[in-house]
Amino acid sequence: MTFLQALRYFLREALVSLRRSARVSTLAVLTIAVSLLLAGVLLLVSRNAAESVAAWREEARFVVFLDRAADAPALAAELVRAPWVTGAEVIDPVEARRRFERSFPSLSALVAEGGEGQLPTSIEARLAAADAGPRSAEFRAWVEQLRQRPGVEAVDDDRDWIEQVERTLAFVRALGWTLSAVLLGASIFTIASVVRFTALLYREEIAIMRLVGATEFYIRGPFYLEGVLQGLIGAALAVAALFAAYSGLRPRIAESLIAEAVAARFLSPAEIALLLAFGALAGLVGSVVSLGREGLPDEGRPR
Amino acid sequence: MIQFFHVTKRFPTGQLALDDVSFEIGRGEFCFLTGPSGAGKTTLLRLIFREETPSEGQIVVHGRNVASVPRSKIPYLRRSIGVVFQDFRLIDRKTIFENVVFLPRLLGHDLQRQRRLAFEALRRVGLSHRMNAFPRELSGGEQQRIAIARALIAEPEIVVADEPTGNLDPDLAQEIVRLFLDIHLRGTTVLFATHDRELIQRVGRRVLTLVQGRITSDHRLTGIAPPEPLVLPAAADHEPPGRDAP
Repeated sequence: MTFLQALRYFLREALVSLRRSARVSTLAVLTIAVSLLLAGVLLLVSRNAAESVAAWREEARFVVFLDRAADAPALAAELVRAPWVTGAEVIDPVEARRRFERSFPSLSALVAEGGEGQLPTSIEARLAAADAGPRSAEFRAWVEQLRQRPGVEAVDDDRDWIEQVERTLAFVRALGWTLSAVLLGASIFTIASVVRFTALLYREEIAIMRLVGATEFYIRGPFYLEGVLQGLIGAALAVAALFAAYSGLRPRIAESLIAEAVAARFLSPAEIALLLAFGALAGLVGSVVSLGREGLPDEGRPR
Repeated sequence: MIQFFHVTKRFPTGQLALDDVSFEIGRGEFCFLTGPSGAGKTTLLRLIFREETPSEGQIVVHGRNVASVPRSKIPYLRRSIGVVFQDFRLIDRKTIFENVVFLPRLLGHDLQRQRRLAFEALRRVGLSHRMNAFPRELSGGEQQRIAIARALIAEPEIVVADEPTGNLDPDLAQEIVRLFLDIHLRGTTVLFATHDRELIQRVGRRVLTLVQGRITSDHRLTGIAPPEPLVLPAAADHEPPGRDAP
């Protein structure tokens, strides 16, 4: 029997078997769909969040706010000499006000020239790409020294809050993956039980097949494929449900800054393929575990 | 063709099923295996197609020591032996064609060849017109004939039958025995297990008697009513199924 013939036979038998044990198969498919739906949500959120954080990091500003007495050009020249700074720009109160008015036109009265809300002079430093990641101890010490310098009112590093967001995301991600793994384990167990149940339903047929000379590959193939199909169908359901939910929520996502940050775009084809492959693999593992080396029931004991 | 050398079979429970059994069945021989229930007939047959392994001794089938056949090669051994059981062992959800054609399909024959082989095997048992039926639609005798067709489809050199008439009334049993005699006439070695002494007396041939796991006699009977030529339903009038058949 050629591989293609065998595959056709496996597929036909697996479909018959799925139909025969429709209820338990549905249970297995739904279990895997739920666990992969959760995994899909996590994948979507963590990938979008990672992209957002990377973008924020690229745009992250390092700003030194000065008091009126400080010598801004001298400090800017000094900042540029630090190994992690590639450039520095002095923002005088006029430029600062212009930027503020551009960003918040309705609040422009607050920073009117000569008013109480006059903005301080600041220096915006551009950091080397290598320092866009987690900050080193030396960098932190340098920032601390900068904060203590006379003429420096405050040092604002955007990466402070970006790192907080990252820590929160990492925690949520770890929690989610753990939950997904538990659910996936449950799915594998369910699939294993379903395949085992089916194998028991077919125990007489299996015994007959063995007696007429069927190989283990031929006997087990349909069961393995049944598990794979359950996993694939479950994964496809999960992707479909995720897409439906995403499409439904998309208009609202655009209105929310946070939602936009964690759900800007749907899963890529590669990620969808990954979820489907994961479902199929879970199904295969379930059926292999269920049948084991000696796992297929055999009919007829010594008489 | 089939040789047993001092074969003993003891089950893990300690039960002794066969005790120092030795015999030889030559190529093309027809041999009855008889004895009371629990004598070890089924165990002996199961040893031949490696459903069991002997605790002691050697079994040689087709010149090969059956016990030393690797696990992965057992299916190939079984394909060379046709096996028929008392309870037919047909797959209820499959059609007669699918039941019979199992081995050719396994061997990768194309559908046309599968049809031809199935038709030929079913014609030999007089049921080529029931290809599309399901086992439950057939009588016990017909089901047993289907099981025989399945055993014959790959033209095995050996056919072993475990009480194939045990579930049938005397007329049907007679019909099944005739089929086995026909198989034998074509040169196939047949080992036919039965506890029906009357049947053996009628047919004759070599008889191995097993009692409590031991061969107590090995003799030949002439037979008081030699089998008549096989008369089957007008199956030969049927043509092989066309492309729209299974």
